[in-house]
Amino acid sequence: MRRHPWLLALLALAIAIAIPACGGDDDDEGGNGASAAGETGIPEEFAAPTAPPENAQEGGDLTVLATDDVDYMDPGPAYYQFTYMVTSAAHRTLMGWQPDDTTEPSPDLAAEEPEISEDNKTITFTIRDGVKFSPPVDREVTSADVKYAIERGLLPGVATAYLPSYLGDVVGFKQAQKQAQQNPTGGAPDIEGIKTPDDKTLVIELERPTAATVIQALSLPISAPVPEEYAQEFDAQNPSTYGEHVVFTGPYMVENNAEGELVGYKPGREIRLVRNPNWDPETDWRPAYLDSITIREGFADTASASRRILDGSAQINGDLTPPPNVIQEAAQNAEPGQLTATPSGGNRYIALNTQAPPFDDINVRKAVVAASDRVAMRNTRGGELVGSVATHFIPPNFPGFEEAGGVEGTGVDFLAKPEGDIELAKEYMREAGYESGMCEGDCTVTIVGDGASPDKETTAVFEDALRALGFEPQTRGVARDIMYTRFCGNPKAAPNVCPSVGWLKDFNDPQSMLQPTFSGDQIQPSNNVNWPQLDVPEINEAIDEATLIADEEERAQAWGEIDKMITEQAAAVPYIWDNQVNIQSADVAGVINLFNANWDLSFTSLKAE
Amino acid sequence: MLRYIARRLLWAVALLFIVMAVIFVIFNVLPTADPAQLRAGRGASVEQIEAIRQSYGLDDPIYVRFARYVEGVVTEFDLGTSIFQNNAPVRDIIFDRLPATLMLTLGAVILWLAIAIPVGVISAIRRRSLLDRTTMIATLTLISAPVFWLGLVALYLFAQDVGLISIFPGIGAYSEATTFMGKVSAMILPWIVLASATAAIYARYIRSQMIEVMSEDYIRTARAKGVPEGLVVRRHGLRSALTPVVTLLGIDIGVLLAGNAILTETVFNIPGIGGELASAIGQSDYELIQGIVLFGAFFIVILSLIVDILYAYLDPRVRYT
Repeated sequence: MRRHPWLLALLALAIAIAIPACGGDDDDEGGNGASAAGETGIPEEFAAPTAPPENAQEGGDLTVLATDDVDYMDPGPAYYQFTYMVTSAAHRTLMGWQPDDTTEPSPDLAAEEPEISEDNKTITFTIRDGVKFSPPVDREVTSADVKYAIERGLLPGVATAYLPSYLGDVVGFKQAQKQAQQNPTGGAPDIEGIKTPDDKTLVIELERPTAATVIQALSLPISAPVPEEYAQEFDAQNPSTYGEHVVFTGPYMVENNAEGELVGYKPGREIRLVRNPNWDPETDWRPAYLDSITIREGFADTASASRRILDGSAQINGDLTPPPNVIQEAAQNAEPGQLTATPSGGNRYIALNTQAPPFDDINVRKAVVAASDRVAMRNTRGGELVGSVATHFIPPNFPGFEEAGGVEGTGVDFLAKPEGDIELAKEYMREAGYESGMCEGDCTVTIVGDGASPDKETTAVFEDALRALGFEPQTRGVARDIMYTRFCGNPKAAPNVCPSVGWLKDFNDPQSMLQPTFSGDQIQPSNNVNWPQLDVPEINEAIDEATLIADEEERAQAWGEIDKMITEQAAAVPYIWDNQVNIQSADVAGVINLFNANWDLSFTSLKAE
Repeated sequence: MLRYIARRLLWAVALLFIVMAVIFVIFNVLPTADPAQLRAGRGASVEQIEAIRQSYGLDDPIYVRFARYVEGVVTEFDLGTSIFQNNAPVRDIIFDRLPATLMLTLGAVILWLAIAIPVGVISAIRRRSLLDRTTMIATLTLISAPVFWLGLVALYLFAQDVGLISIFPGIGAYSEATTFMGKVSAMILPWIVLASATAAIYARYIRSQMIEVMSEDYIRTARAKGVPEGLVVRRHGLRSALTPVVTLLGIDIGVLLAGNAILTETVFNIPGIGGELASAIGQSDYELIQGIVLFGAFFIVILSLIVDILYAYLDPRVRYT
């Protein structure tokens, strides 16, 4: 089964940046989206355009080249950066992200900003007039369609992965969850705290004052309306087959037939988006210049696909990332604007298992972090353009980033030198009881990482740091899914080091970066994403308190402080804040959506000939 | 004859059942990643994972799951659903990819036979000539060149989108073509690449077979009786030399239809079984891998059967026993 490692390497490289769990980023500057090179490592000439040109022309067919498919066409379980590229053009969620939105989503299906009660426990949305479902449903969207969309996410046949994390505080959520588990094909369970007093009003009642987080989460595809009378027969199957019959509310829709079957979607091959005849531009802030968009999938050789985009016409990249040599070529030879880089709102780090020797000793952890050459680790992924060297965990241009110390870092000495500081590392080893500054006795360190490039090269750099301190790394390179489900996400089988992990935000809130990954309360026996298994009561408590803060500034301050506390624990070696590199043909006037760090299909146009 | 075919068909069914059991054990008893976790997605809670495990029957005893799987395959040809392709039925994905693989395989087979037979025969009857030595060096070079490398070189030299000399349609051209002739045109470069290495192997094999056959007594007798040399080569020599080639060809076609054109399909982005298998492996999409492997096994078993029947027809010494 694994006779073709080169192929897996290509695939891994292509999906490397697109960690399943969405993506994107924001930029405090807005407007043209010029990211400060100092924070993100992105030179001005490669800054992402976030607005269409004034003379953007209407019409034309754009082709998107991709390696893999969207994860789901059904907006319910959709949870992947590339999928969001499609859903943001084809669906209208309660809140949406305009290309230059940085910290706050804009009302989309919602007519205006939601009303939040004083106690932060009740949110009231008003549904916009004139938004209609695509054929064959052809009727106006009501608040009941949003309620159904959320509730069906609890069905095992839909299974929205992030629902319990962000909407778990909705009154009656847990009872509804149990009901869905007991009767997986019996229809969507009623969530008591989601109410629809009339067709235009949606009220969400919460058990805890977490309104700010819930509103951000409702910018994800889960709040794209689903008509119950149409979808229930598909949802009665397990898994739901609504994904083959989705109806849309955005400017584009996947081509379908009279029965609603998506004839324009061939899984793994092609997605053909055409204009939604029921979309009214008067109700939307999307300009939607293009006539149609064809997404062609299966381009496993990212080098030739990237060259085809750069040398060709009317093409952009989807999930594929140009390999380092093509990036280098394009940086020198491509026309201005063909190559852009955008902070993805993600980080990558090497997780040290804090629950087992030798890394249950904080001084050993500090020693290893200090000895790591994070510049070399970053360079294994392609150099400065693909991201700056991380000094903590909240990425640049993100609430809490500056509060945690910005680019300079939190001030801890063991992360002060990005190329590594072996003398300091040895001092920490001495503090840990190793008099020689080197490991003595049983010095075996087990590592399970992604066996494909570029992760295996990153791991090799880290192994050097371990050896410099006398450790004996025993590395096992496996496929990414195996690494997560069998080892790193399974605390009982977790190795000492998981070197190929990282996190992409779910939305622009530091809670979505730090809570799942570093709260001890989030450690679970399987599918665990707190890879270092960090369980520090003070940090857990601080996270609990910070989730309830509504004021933006206070919230950023609190999460910045939490980031400092986590960094101080040396539970991981942060080595990159990712940038997403995107490319387009010279005749495309592409617009990047900073939230998703990818092309915004509703704002992109073709240049006039 | 009919009795022989019936007996072979029964064996084929038994063999497929064994293959099904082995594949099921590999992907269900010894899975490398947890299917429930994969389907739930990253960050999903333990409760969500358990709900998925229960609702898909992944917590049922292994024999129950196997019985369900066999029943699905036999009664509805249901091979399960893909985790990563919108829950699409594996059967539909395979049938969607099959035409491209069939076209790639058949075209390449015709091309490699068209090259290998004359080259092999001429090299054999002009042994140690300049032509023989040149073709044998060329075939050795082609055998040594990995298909993916050959594919990339062909693309960068001759593809219309990324090549130095725009001659043939490039990557993804097959999917973009809307007419049959367009698809044929898109297949020219993949056919050449896929056929090259195999044609080289076949040419060498046919050459050695021909050399052996041409030194047989009955060939000498034919010549002594004054049969023209061309007829001796074609009717007496080639027919005998090709008999073992048929066995090889049957297996090769089966293997290609089973997804072994993985590299060619991937390099040229041809939406075939091989490319799909590569993608499924990369994503640990076990039901899809399992379905494709079973489907491939079916092809190999059927083609082996056809070859055995054909072999008996070609070689009268083989009896239907």
